[in-house]
Amino acid sequence: MLQVRDLVAAYGPIVALHGVSLDVPEGSIVAVLGANGAGKSSTLRVISGLLRAKSGSIKFDGQRIDHLSTEQIVSLGMSHVPEGRQLFGDLTVLENLRLGAYSRFGQADGGGRLAHRQGLSLLGRLQHDLIQAATGGIRDLARAVREHGQRRRDFDAALKQIFDYFPILAQRKNQVAGTLSGGEQQMLAIGRGLMARPRLLLLDEPSMGLAPLVTREIFEIVQTINRTEGVTILVVEQNANLALEIAHYGYVLETGRVALADTSENLRKSEAVRRSYLGQ
Amino acid sequence: MADFWQQVVVGLATGSLYGLMALALVLIYRSTHVLNFAQGEMAMFSTFLAWSILIRVDNHYWVMFPLAVLVAAALGGLTERVVVRPVEGAPILNIVIVTLGLYAIFSNVASWRWIGRPKPFPTPPEIHVAGLKFFGGDALHVGPTVINYHDLTIMVFAALIMVALYLFFQYTSLGLAMRATAHNPVASRLMGIRVGRMLTIGWALSAAVGAVAGLLIAPIVLLTSAMMVGALLYAFAAAVLGGLDSPVGAIVGGLIIGVSENLVGAYTPQEWLGPEMKLTVTLCIILVVLLVRPTGIFGRRALRRV
Repeated sequence: MLQVRDLVAAYGPIVALHGVSLDVPEGSIVAVLGANGAGKSSTLRVISGLLRAKSGSIKFDGQRIDHLSTEQIVSLGMSHVPEGRQLFGDLTVLENLRLGAYSRFGQADGGGRLAHRQGLSLLGRLQHDLIQAATGGIRDLARAVREHGQRRRDFDAALKQIFDYFPILAQRKNQVAGTLSGGEQQMLAIGRGLMARPRLLLLDEPSMGLAPLVTREIFEIVQTINRTEGVTILVVEQNANLALEIAHYGYVLETGRVALADTSENLRKSEAVRRSYLGQ
Repeated sequence: MADFWQQVVVGLATGSLYGLMALALVLIYRSTHVLNFAQGEMAMFSTFLAWSILIRVDNHYWVMFPLAVLVAAALGGLTERVVVRPVEGAPILNIVIVTLGLYAIFSNVASWRWIGRPKPFPTPPEIHVAGLKFFGGDALHVGPTVINYHDLTIMVFAALIMVALYLFFQYTSLGLAMRATAHNPVASRLMGIRVGRMLTIGWALSAAVGAVAGLLIAPIVLLTSAMMVGALLYAFAAAVLGGLDSPVGAIVGGLIIGVSENLVGAYTPQEWLGPEMKLTVTLCIILVVLLVRPTGIFGRRALRRV
């Protein structure tokens, strides 16, 4: 589903990734492990377009996405739950979830229009963009009115599903997100990511700052989502033990390079991983 | 007592105008953290454009009005896209300089294009909708208090705009996306929100609100290229008083300033303070409020949690 090849990326003069390659097969959970500063988060940021790669390629469903903007990548069916959750702290839980569904309702036919635009010549693109700028808003509005009922049902179904996974969010739906506990915030971040009905979910350190019990609960739900919905998951984690428990494959990053790549079973047996990351 | 309420009503009307301009400032500030110094000049420019439109549509005010607001919105959006976008992410001082440049451009182009004496600008004329008469006519009497129709129009417009914006931000997905962009641009991009487009829409909205203020101020002070200079100063004060990131605060701040300015002008003894000192006294009141609440009445301290 996702193929990453020889990714090089940098923050100004500081190179974060020196050629990272990884594969995420459809329907699997893949864990990316490594110490602080190994390039785990940077890898996710490049995949979702927040950070531009210097070189290398990323294919999602066979389509090159490394030149697309974050907004475009999201509308193709990839959700990124970022490091530190990045919730809208002043908005309510429900508003955060509504925003999660924005990519599906906000723009009329995001993916189809994008593919159409890519097939055009330079002048054609300019003309397309101008027409889009002039009529896009009106067409989006017309579409919103036409599909209002359908969208409403879609949204309610997605919301109900999120509340089934995280019942606490239903109780707190009108509460301001910034006042939730750490675990609830992480649940909301994942729920918000799922509202986009993604086929691929990128999770960045879901355990960050959480108590072990809460972390375990969240990982179990992530596993359930993968099994029952068939959502493919790429999870970055410092807690290697837990991550390898639910993952099918694992990659170990060291200073911006892939040091080890194997099934999670083999990784758990590997002497090097046990010593460095599992604390055994 | 009758005179007191009279002064309050007049203060509320001018305060609504300050509030509308402050609202225009806040709409841009809360999404980009830029104080748009060109806000007043953009409103003035839009009003001149409205005047040009008015001549071309045979002085049909209510034909001109929506056209003028749309043109102003387009002008605001275009300004963001062409002039402000390239400096996005630059240090805040650079952006401030850009808005000061815009101030000069709008001011100069208006003086050059619409040269001549101050032009009288009409108040909104009466209009008949479904047998009911709106606007125009004689003054409205509430007990002994007399409310001039233009003052009433101003207050009604301010209230309508406020309610419309509230509904827009609270209940539409576009409004929600704009609020999200203001709070966290990076997370907004991850939601699939095109942040740049939201900023363009924010500038367009702001310019439209400013244009309404301009259209309502012009009949009072006459249409000149300097007509918004005073109003903008009060608008800045109103926005700061209400809290720079709160639309409600902008209107409330405007009303407080309008009323207190009027009361100070009317009731302080001539030989001691008097009308000459009303701006000074008003700014002192603001200073005191800000000492107690540095973020303004409705302003919120940024909530950070790691």
